[in-house]
Amino acid sequence: MSTETMQRSGTWGLEWRIATVRNGMKEALAYRGEFILEMVGSAIVPVSIQLMLWYAVMQGNPSGKFAGMSYQDLIAYTWTSLLFSQVRGGDYDFSLIEMIRTGTLSNFLLRPVGPVEFLYFKSLGEKSLTVAFCFGLGLLSCLFTEITPLHLTMGLFLALLGNIIGYLFGATLAAIAFYWENAFAALMVKNMMVALLCGELIPLSVVPEKYSFVWRSTPFYLFVYGPAQVALGKWDYLVFFRETGIACLWIAALSILLHLTWRISIRRYQGLGG
Amino acid sequence: MTPDSKNSIVVKDITRSFRSVKKEEGVRGTLKLLFKPEYITHEALKGISFEIPRGEFTGLIGANGAGKTTLLKILSGLIPPSTGEASVLGFTPFERSIEFRKQISIVMGQKAQLWWDLPALEAFDLIRALYQIPRDTYKKRVEELTTLLDVTKLLNTQIRRLSLGERMKMEVIGAILHLPKVIFLDEPTIGLDVLASKKLREFLRTHNQREGATIILTSHNMDDISELCKRILLIKEGKLIFDGNPGTLTRQDECVLRVKLMSEPAPAEIAATLGIAEDRVQKDEEDPSTYALSVQRSRITEYFQKLLGQFQVADIGIQEASLERVIQQIYQG
Repeated sequence: MSTETMQRSGTWGLEWRIATVRNGMKEALAYRGEFILEMVGSAIVPVSIQLMLWYAVMQGNPSGKFAGMSYQDLIAYTWTSLLFSQVRGGDYDFSLIEMIRTGTLSNFLLRPVGPVEFLYFKSLGEKSLTVAFCFGLGLLSCLFTEITPLHLTMGLFLALLGNIIGYLFGATLAAIAFYWENAFAALMVKNMMVALLCGELIPLSVVPEKYSFVWRSTPFYLFVYGPAQVALGKWDYLVFFRETGIACLWIAALSILLHLTWRISIRRYQGLGG
Repeated sequence: MTPDSKNSIVVKDITRSFRSVKKEEGVRGTLKLLFKPEYITHEALKGISFEIPRGEFTGLIGANGAGKTTLLKILSGLIPPSTGEASVLGFTPFERSIEFRKQISIVMGQKAQLWWDLPALEAFDLIRALYQIPRDTYKKRVEELTTLLDVTKLLNTQIRRLSLGERMKMEVIGAILHLPKVIFLDEPTIGLDVLASKKLREFLRTHNQREGATIILTSHNMDDISELCKRILLIKEGKLIFDGNPGTLTRQDECVLRVKLMSEPAPAEIAATLGIAEDRVQKDEEDPSTYALSVQRSRITEYFQKLLGQFQVADIGIQEASLERVIQQIYQG
């Protein structure tokens, strides 16, 4: 799009992005029951695992501490990780693979905007309701816990950056589908790694220091563990800004990688299905 | 390819092949596939060339698997050709520049492009934002197009709750809201009833005349082709075998003899008398003594003589063969 065209429209591309987010939101609300059930259902498993785990760990632990965390600390972590794991989620990369496989990607390829970006804003529309709901719950919990609204907002900001990273990572992997029709296994493996390394099942601080490079070398800790640490006040402002910088670097690197992989692999697209 | 002031679409010697794994039956075949896959190459298009002037309504026809949709995918920029060149409005389609995408549109009768769970109006508003259509122009255009297609009352109904015909009308509106210069229509009337098809055809004709958009239509419904297209491109097994006026095609040594006899012989008897295939003789359902015979124009005198020699003829006349019949014969080879 030329600068002149953008200026004439007076929106610099903001209008279509807002309209896409708005439609994504409306689409999510078309099935309200399904939407709420999915959100609640996806939270139950990790929360139940964590609560049972902490109970078992503390039962056999006379010191009342686990990896330097008290039972209250662990419960607080469980709560905040629950909120942020809802922000990170989404199977949009699976949708991309399905679109490539069935040819429905054609609908998006012919619009005058980037298809991957368009789908991100659509997913953001759906996600924004969850984010608003979790933020509301988080604010409510500020009344009963030591979480402050400022820390919660900062944590949410980092989680949103994590959401972008997650989408870029998944969309880059989804390009495999241009070569390999059923590329779902790659995403399954990625999802398992993410679940383990993002901190939604266990706080990453329980990982011994000498192995912490494992989770630190991926961006996944920025999805849940990082935001939870910020919200709980465990990371000071300096660390927050450093991690925000790291998140931005990941976003830049993955954006380039995404652009390159799609540019090369789109030549393999066959637009099947008539 | 340089921009062409006269033509919207220029295609030069395009080929396209697809490679796929050869699948064999049974467990053994599946295991073989796992360790030693064999590939087969299918040539969907074999050296196709043509030009389409600006504003022309062209029909692209051919049997299933002939290569029509592959050609549309290449022209719309979804897939690249294997060899050859294509230019649409002076753009190379597969480069998919934003300016190119703003000026084209595609409607796929078998694929919904509007958001399934949202009302059409919401989807149209997104299209307005995507194509940067000024709001007042957009409002006027939606009102005008929905009135023409008689769907104004359905604008706030979820797409999935619309009938097939209503949905297709909305799809067409969504595809032309930004007034594209080139429109690809892939079987837009598939599954529609007679009235809905007719309405859609009238609408497309009006749009083509008013806006001067270049339209390529693929359809198995020959009414669509004969009513709308001044030119047809006929593809068979990946090759362009006819490029011209539909009237020319129907006049190519094929006509229908309409005969009313004094008796009511079986079609097989008439076919045997004339020495033609039985399926070329059709008995009129309302008048059992009247028959429609699809015959070669060059041998018409010979058929007249045979009919008069064998049967008592009450009336006889010649009609042009229907496009559908001619196309069917071409498909069958």
